Amino acid sequence: METTTQLYIFKTDIGPLCANCEVHKTLSTHAEIQEWSIDTDDVDCVLRVASATLTPQSIIALINALGHQCHEL
Amino acid sequence: MRTRDTDKEKLVIAKAIEQIVQDGFQGFSMNKLAKACNISVATLYIYYQDKDDLIMKIGEEIGVDFFASTVKDFSPEMPFEEGLWKQWQNRAAFALEFPLQVACFEVIKHSPYRDQIMQSGLLADFKVMMRQFIDNALNNKQLVPMSFEVFWSVAYGPLYTLLNFHREGKSMGGKTFTLTPDMMEEAFNATIKALKP
Repeated sequence: METTTQLYIFKTDIGPLCANCEVHKTLSTHAEIQEWSIDTDDVDCVLRVASATLTPQSIIALINALGHQCHEL
Repeated sequence: MRTRDTDKEKLVIAKAIEQIVQDGFQGFSMNKLAKACNISVATLYIYYQDKDDLIMKIGEEIGVDFFASTVKDFSPEMPFEEGLWKQWQNRAAFALEFPLQVACFEVIKHSPYRDQIMQSGLLADFKVMMRQFIDNALNNKQLVPMSFEVFWSVAYGPLYTLLNFHREGKSMGGKTFTLTPDMMEEAFNATIKALKP
């Protein structure tokens, strides 16, 4: 079955990232995440995730499990 | 699914340019921009990763438009006087038609975004073309040898000073000012005298 990569946008409380922090490691190594970025300068610390298979709910659960708030925008 | 909309993208760029010119980078934010465009912040993030990404893309877009406009009907092989006059005409036409873009590019040029934007492909080609034009003029003995920065300030300084007066509508001491084609030609004639052997 063909899949299309979709872009999901979330409001979070993730602060400035370092290469070793859990959020960075988890998102960078996740097999089902093609691309991600966080705008830590923005008041909403907006997270963008591109994935062909994950749902917004599963991404929220992933971020919540890392101890951060996450709401789809 | 979230999709891109090119009309919306154009509106975003136009509003971003307006806000950067008005408030500078410090007063500029993705939230403010989204509000001005009547779109959600989420939509804005479909187009751009963050504020830096947005500023870089705007800078590149203005730079590419400026480049395309500046080289219209121009060739680095042109005789020096003819080529420089074409440059003056093209640069003036762009500044007069797109004053906000020019003002925004000025803000970007005086920021840390400058180097990255200037290195992008098309702008690098532009620099090569301008360099070639000067080298040809020097080889053909149509230009007095001088350091590059001095050349640039003599060759384009008078034009940009007049364009700035025109944009502000005022010259020295607040005197009302409008740039006319005759005045541009007068300034060009004085400039070419300083540059030709």
